[in-house]
Amino acid sequence: MSASVPSSVPAGTLEYVGASIGYGARTIVRDASFAVAPGEFVGLVGPNGAGKSTLLRAITGGATVSAGDITFGGASLVRMPERERARIVGVVPQTQLATFSFTARAYVEMGRHAHLGRLAAPGPADAAIVDEVMERTDTARLAAEPVDELSGGDLQRLTLAQALAQQPQVLLLDEPTSHLDLNHALQVLELVRALADGGLAVVGVFHDLGLAARYADRISIVAGGGVTLPAPPASALDAQVVSDVFGVRAVVRTDPVTGSVAVTPIVRGADLAPAVSGPRIGLVCGSGAGAGLMRRLALAGHPLYAGVLNRGDIDHAVAAAVGAGMAELPAFGEVDETVAAEVRAGYAECACVVVCETPFGGANLPNLQAALDSGRPLVLVGEMDGERDFAHGRARVLWDRALERGAVRVDTEADVSGVLGRCGGVEA
Amino acid sequence: MLAGLAAALVLAIIAGVAFGAVPISPGEVVGAIAHALGGGERTLSDAVVLDLRLPRVLLAALVGAALALAGVLYQALFRNPLADPYILGVSSGAGLGATVAMMALGTSYMMRAIGVPLGAFAGAGLTMLLVVRLASRRGRLDPTSLLLAGMAVSYILSALTSFLLVLDREQMSGVVFWMMGGLQNRSWEHVASLGVMFAIGSIAPALYHRELDLMLLGDERAGQLGVSVERFKTLALASASLVVAGAVSVSGLIGFIGLMTPHMVRLALGPRHRLLLPASVLAGAIVLVVADLFARVVLAPVEIPVGIVTALAGGPFFLWILLRKERTR
Repeated sequence: MSASVPSSVPAGTLEYVGASIGYGARTIVRDASFAVAPGEFVGLVGPNGAGKSTLLRAITGGATVSAGDITFGGASLVRMPERERARIVGVVPQTQLATFSFTARAYVEMGRHAHLGRLAAPGPADAAIVDEVMERTDTARLAAEPVDELSGGDLQRLTLAQALAQQPQVLLLDEPTSHLDLNHALQVLELVRALADGGLAVVGVFHDLGLAARYADRISIVAGGGVTLPAPPASALDAQVVSDVFGVRAVVRTDPVTGSVAVTPIVRGADLAPAVSGPRIGLVCGSGAGAGLMRRLALAGHPLYAGVLNRGDIDHAVAAAVGAGMAELPAFGEVDETVAAEVRAGYAECACVVVCETPFGGANLPNLQAALDSGRPLVLVGEMDGERDFAHGRARVLWDRALERGAVRVDTEADVSGVLGRCGGVEA
Repeated sequence: MLAGLAAALVLAIIAGVAFGAVPISPGEVVGAIAHALGGGERTLSDAVVLDLRLPRVLLAALVGAALALAGVLYQALFRNPLADPYILGVSSGAGLGATVAMMALGTSYMMRAIGVPLGAFAGAGLTMLLVVRLASRRGRLDPTSLLLAGMAVSYILSALTSFLLVLDREQMSGVVFWMMGGLQNRSWEHVASLGVMFAIGSIAPALYHRELDLMLLGDERAGQLGVSVERFKTLALASASLVVAGAVSVSGLIGFIGLMTPHMVRLALGPRHRLLLPASVLAGAIVLVVADLFARVVLAPVEIPVGIVTALAGGPFFLWILLRKERTR
């Protein structure tokens, strides 16, 4: 990650050069400086009102650039005549008026305006371009439909087609999939990805962090009146950034299917604020069995202790997100006596310990053992049968011992809060 | 389609010339025009046709064309199907400007021939600026505010015009009749004056019909697609003001032509200005020639000001669009 130096910028690069952008006297984003090279797709993410759309609108005059500049190949786009600029920059705005009933084809053809001579009508070459972009955006079958009778999704794809008909070198997308169903959203983003790979410089505003991470090469975060240098999704987005920027505690991990960063929001930070208002609760969990309960108890204000959790385990990520105490182990790490003692002490500080409906194996059996040894009241969720006990009957032995010592058993996680009151003055 | 409208306009003009206190056959009408062009011997009916009827009917056609052109421009620039020079107050502004010019310039013919249209143009342009300013909130133009501001300004300016006329009783009756929208006693000078203003005002819309299409997508989008929005708006509004000023200075306040004709043509032919503009201009001309014919014959020998005919037809039409728009909202 290095600051862009104008002299090293390749031709066809879109560059924000210390641009301060706003509306009238109000500045929204200060000193934006980054470059988007041809073939590159940069995603802008950030909270509502932070200035993502404003950054894009500044290029086409919808917002004011009060200092600095936005350039293409060194030439100022801000001061460029509209007609010349429209041959370089295509925009897909967030929403589009459709109050007059142009046919879809006439609507797309409007994208050719900047290429047509004053008295010239669109010719066969223009018609071929319109056909092609409608084909690529899957809108060819709509050609004869009046745009004011189409769905928001169809209109959004037609607007993309209109922008592509400009044959731009820079494509600006403001939430290009906001009106699209899942199928069309992926289709449009695959198309945009292909266009970037074909040499366009693309900037897209995203609300869905996962889609941004999946399709953009680099991501910039727009927040607090500034914009960060674009960085690869894996380094631009982590749980800390999501918490700082959006105020949401989230699990950020690599999606095993797509291989890109996936963000799962757990709780709003604001909802956790009045925390530490109830007694501490311990959980014996793992493999996601404790995720729901941890979230609920954290929102209710209980400090939590989650025992040993391996990195990579979903419960580990959730525990980190809600700020639960735990003993971290590397993935597939083993529990030694020191860790076991630490966990026992951790559970001992809790008003009671809930044994979630997790399967038990060699890795998390020590948690159950430690909970039992801590001497705190236990709540057991579900039944201990062969489907949960992968520890050759040892989990079963501990479970039965707990029941002998007076542990409360409930059928499901939903019943837990009803019995928490029984273990030492806990108000659920 | 355009050829059909042009043919209909020719027929309407012939009919407009043929009907009247002295009926003249369509053959005589065509003959009179042929004599005038070919320089043959003039008959009595030739004189009626060439000196009385033809200038009046051609003027009606030009006024209708001018108002329809202005209506198309306003409706595109403001993205409002109810915009029209009469409703936006521009006609009243032109009327006040023309009245002030008439009173200030006295009776010199030359001064009036130039000064009245100029006064009307100034009045129309300033009124447009005022109404747009009144209807804008933080750079955004609210469609409903635009219509309300236009109507309010229209009332105020009409009242001012009436006030000026009361001060100047000598001219009152003639000007009041003119204000109601009349085409009586118009001559070839009026045709020439409006013809020139209409020709000048048509240049920009004819060249920039694609920009008008793009303006319907919104100012910001039009800019993104390559339109120099502010410059184009100024040019188009100036053109509209010019043709409205031309129409008002020869025929007073004739309402709703600019509203009705583009609307009907758009329903029939779609919103693309390449076709909508010329078709609306032709349709506006036809509608006003027919309305004027109606105004002359319905209570003959008494003539009704044609503005009353268009208002009687146009008012309900306005309400119909308004209610239809509300219902589909």
